[in-house]
Amino acid sequence: MTETLTGAQILCRTLLEAGVDVIFGYPGGAIMPFYHALGDHPALRHILVRHEQAAAHAADGYARASGRVGVCVATSGPGATNLVTGLATAHMDSSPVVAITGQVPRAMIGRDAFQETDIVGITLPITKQNYLVQDVTELAGVVREALAVAQQGRPGPVLIDVPKDVQNQKTTYTPGAAARAPLGDKNTQSLRGAPAAAPGVSASVEDGVREAARLIAAAERPLIMVGHGVIIGNAYAEVRALAEKTGIPVITTLLGISAFPDGHPLFLGMPGMHGEVRVNRAIQHADLIVGIGLRFDDRVTGNTAGFAPRARIVHIDLDRAEIGKNVPVTVGIVGDARDVTHRLAAVVQPRTCERWLAEIHDFTRPRAAAFRGDLAPETILASLYQATEGRCTIVTDVGQHQMWVAKLYPYREPNSHITSGGLGTMGFAVPAAMGVHLARPGETVWAISGDGGFQMNMAEIATMVQERLPVKMAIFNNGYLGMVRQWQQFFHGKRYSCTPIWSPDYVKLAEAYGIPGWRVKEAAELPDVVAQANDYSGPALVEFVIEQEANVYPMIPPGGSLSEPIETAPASAGD
Amino acid sequence: MPDSHTVAVLLDDALLTLNRAVGVLRRRNVPIERVALRPTATAGVSQLTFILKADAATADRVAQQFHKIVGVRDVVLAATEESTREVQS
Repeated sequence: MTETLTGAQILCRTLLEAGVDVIFGYPGGAIMPFYHALGDHPALRHILVRHEQAAAHAADGYARASGRVGVCVATSGPGATNLVTGLATAHMDSSPVVAITGQVPRAMIGRDAFQETDIVGITLPITKQNYLVQDVTELAGVVREALAVAQQGRPGPVLIDVPKDVQNQKTTYTPGAAARAPLGDKNTQSLRGAPAAAPGVSASVEDGVREAARLIAAAERPLIMVGHGVIIGNAYAEVRALAEKTGIPVITTLLGISAFPDGHPLFLGMPGMHGEVRVNRAIQHADLIVGIGLRFDDRVTGNTAGFAPRARIVHIDLDRAEIGKNVPVTVGIVGDARDVTHRLAAVVQPRTCERWLAEIHDFTRPRAAAFRGDLAPETILASLYQATEGRCTIVTDVGQHQMWVAKLYPYREPNSHITSGGLGTMGFAVPAAMGVHLARPGETVWAISGDGGFQMNMAEIATMVQERLPVKMAIFNNGYLGMVRQWQQFFHGKRYSCTPIWSPDYVKLAEAYGIPGWRVKEAAELPDVVAQANDYSGPALVEFVIEQEANVYPMIPPGGSLSEPIETAPASAGD
Repeated sequence: MPDSHTVAVLLDDALLTLNRAVGVLRRRNVPIERVALRPTATAGVSQLTFILKADAATADRVAQQFHKIVGVRDVVLAATEESTREVQS
């Protein structure tokens, strides 16, 4: 049924038709017609954040937890530019976020009007696609296309900039009309005119799978490495089937954590800069690596010249541009992680890797004791696991705590670990956890941050209170920007330049927001406090006062080889 | 192995698409020698051509990045023939 609507109404209607039920945003001058229309669409729940960056992170958290598009809204100018960090975060981690920004009226564009900024120009390199809507007749098609582009192929953020007068313009609207133009899958399209110029990429999935199966049968020291693509593609069962049929041990990258159950006999852990010695050693001794849905990021490989020197690489990825980008591959298979892994698992010959597993077991080194006293990440995370019975989603921030959680928390449930990997965005955890809660209202979500990252977006406690979002917040407080301090200790002669960081009294802060807060200094207090916070009906905050100068071990120095981990602090000139 | 490739990107005649395509060259720090934009015989389609100082594998990786852009219709890659190269002054 066709009717006449304003652009603002069309925005609301197209979002609702696509199944969007929650949006994160902040009103302002150029987006006011949209906010006016929102009042007539109560099915579209709006979460009023305290800073637009939080809206983008929350939409990202919602998208990662639900697998559906997360939507954020901001006004023109500063509202729009505040989204930028969140969009770049979503872009690096392939998260389907759609941002809608108000823009000054068309007649004012280009005149440096009040709160005018070229947000489309600014976000070009950090979005999959973006649009400046020039006429209301384009709007419905643009929104539908944007929602499709964000999700299809390798997901990513899309921005729609809508001038204020377009929001007020009227046009006829037909519900459910098709997107503007049929879309091909931009990631997996074949490339014409480059016959021999794509080393390693198989002509078809079938060829690639057959060749990969042959390499798996012949390998003595094979590894499976899985990344975010396995989570995005919901390929858990397929990866597990492949591993169990072949006995090949499984490594999960930072964003691949929870794609394979911790505690499974074939689970090895996280590789790379802070990977356990046995994991990195396994990589350096492997003769075959089957990489699924990862991009062999520099934090995973260290110096690529020395990465896995004995291994041939089978790389399965949806994005053809990733194959061969960072490491040379023997077999590249362009396709969906679930489909390709399923096909590979079907054709591989059953085998075991007993000798190789024993060899890897011998690579194990006792973990260096980084902590004095008993309030160590191990004990904190063990309490958390106990209180939640392992059934919660953990959203981490960036830094030392992120690595401790990645290495020490035994993730069992798929997609129960969410973090900012590629961009490494401090301040991500608290707002992203709000989005995770809305995607999974029946589940507990814990946002774990350091004292630095927490202070970047702690204003969002107010959002949690106002919008009734029962996020549990944990702060690992060591009084430093810990990871930077660790680098200063290792690589800058222990000059702790600008890394000591003061914190407010977090218990009083919680009280000011009207939520319960606890400070934990002794391990003995852990079980009781963590259980109370976990069981509380609303948002709650727990500060863990941890040792100030503990380090994350082992560590591969940036640009170093996986074969040469740092396992103790270097003696500095001052010592 | 030629160390120079001519890349022709056929793309929608829209400023944003062009901006995005040129942005890839800049953002990925692609070593290019020359760049040109011209209309094509097909209405609504432009051709962005550049000479890339890189081997075939690198040229392929660059071409792949263009292929991901919404609005890019085709990417054609060819080893640059010596005769078509001009002396740089």
